[in-house]
Amino acid sequence: MGAESRSARIQLLVAEQAARRGAHVDVVDVCTAAVAALPVGGAGLSAMSRVAPSHPLCSTDNVSELLEELQLTLGEGPCVDAFLHGQAVLTPDLLTRDLQDRWTVFAEAALEAGARAVFALPLQMGAISPGVLDLYAHVPVRLNAEELADALAFADLATLVLLDARIDETGGPRGGPADDLGAYRAEIDQASGMLTVQLGVGIEEAFVRLRAHAYAQGRRLADVAADVVARRLRFPPDAEPDQAGEDD
Amino acid sequence: MDQQLLAKTFVELADNLVADFDLMDFLRLLTDRCVGMLDASAAGVLLADRDGKLRVMAASDEQVRVLELFQLQNDQGPCLTCFRTGAPVIIPDLTREVDRWPRFVTAAHRSGFGAVQALPMRLREETVGALNLFRAAPGPFDPAATLVAQALADVATISLLQQRTAQRSTVLNEQLQTALNSRVLIEQAKGKLAERQGVDMEQAFSALRRYARAHNRRLADVARAFIDGSEPLAGLGS
Repeated sequence: MGAESRSARIQLLVAEQAARRGAHVDVVDVCTAAVAALPVGGAGLSAMSRVAPSHPLCSTDNVSELLEELQLTLGEGPCVDAFLHGQAVLTPDLLTRDLQDRWTVFAEAALEAGARAVFALPLQMGAISPGVLDLYAHVPVRLNAEELADALAFADLATLVLLDARIDETGGPRGGPADDLGAYRAEIDQASGMLTVQLGVGIEEAFVRLRAHAYAQGRRLADVAADVVARRLRFPPDAEPDQAGEDD
Repeated sequence: MDQQLLAKTFVELADNLVADFDLMDFLRLLTDRCVGMLDASAAGVLLADRDGKLRVMAASDEQVRVLELFQLQNDQGPCLTCFRTGAPVIIPDLTREVDRWPRFVTAAHRSGFGAVQALPMRLREETVGALNLFRAAPGPFDPAATLVAQALADVATISLLQQRTAQRSTVLNEQLQTALNSRVLIEQAKGKLAERQGVDMEQAFSALRRYARAHNRRLADVARAFIDGSEPLAGLGS
């Protein structure tokens, strides 16, 4: 397997699902593509937050819809743990004593709904953690290394799609997520951190504004980030994303 | 090589491995000791993400970080070769490798480095990353120092597994994912602190590390708390 191609391949699978719907790439396309690519029966995605109420965003079938709702209502389950610990929670078989003790109500309800294996993958980039991608299977199943790597790549793409949706809200240019994951640099993270102070916003908003600026200017995210880190570019508070000031 | 310093370093690293373990702090310590002990000017630990791209997990200073990032983005250099072949790459004189890695050699020269060695981080059959040592002056590497460097690369690999995850995950690429995310957290926190206090990234890192150590906390946890503003961190301006 060409190692470099994983993100690109996953992006293509998701774009194909969007094309089939005749729509722009959305998180539901990530779910549909994940179900097609992995040994799972369904997928669902919830927006999660430490400060605001969490809510389900989409699901591919009734079982995954129920699983999302159950976990958010009960406040327990793999999805909740994945979000709290910032780590994937892989449950190849819910029918084990240990897990039934850990998620007393959820495990029983999930089994009754027909889910036997559940995998919860946090959407995250450092402190940016907008949600969780849940996958379930009707039978006990263990994801092998390749499948897990793919699942993590689906979660990464979902993160960007979710954050990009917020750029669209503010009138940014549309389009699938660019190949920015490949161009990922420490400077992008550093710049996001710097913008939290310049703009007086949270890290998630800072990243969205950085990306919106790159889109608006038609520049690469990594290049814009490098300018911020080198202190050649500042984002004044309350400015529109495309009005960041250039310092010379 | 100073035998006493060598012994002291391994005692120090072993102590860190058995005590309350903080992967990010540990890897930085390891790169610092490479510099102090192995006649290196700078050192970095690079780990492969699931796309097979090498990402900097720890570096002894910001200058080399920039260089290594440059190396990655151009898909060329000794570290990449080491990772792909799983074998050490030892270059006593970089000027002789201009044809092989033109962009890398130019960048290394610009940053003041004349020699480099890259040692693979191997786990069973798999190469998960590489330890990269840079030296200002060209010239042969002491074979004994290379052996020690490989031992340190192995220690760095073991430390990845030492990371106790809340979910007791035994899946390697999930653990690597968590480690890489810790790095992202720290970079975000460095950016916030650098901007708030008007300091550079290296100073911001030092301040975060000092705070984490003084409060017996993991670096990544302090970074997250600082970014979230979820708890006041005395002295970090939060």
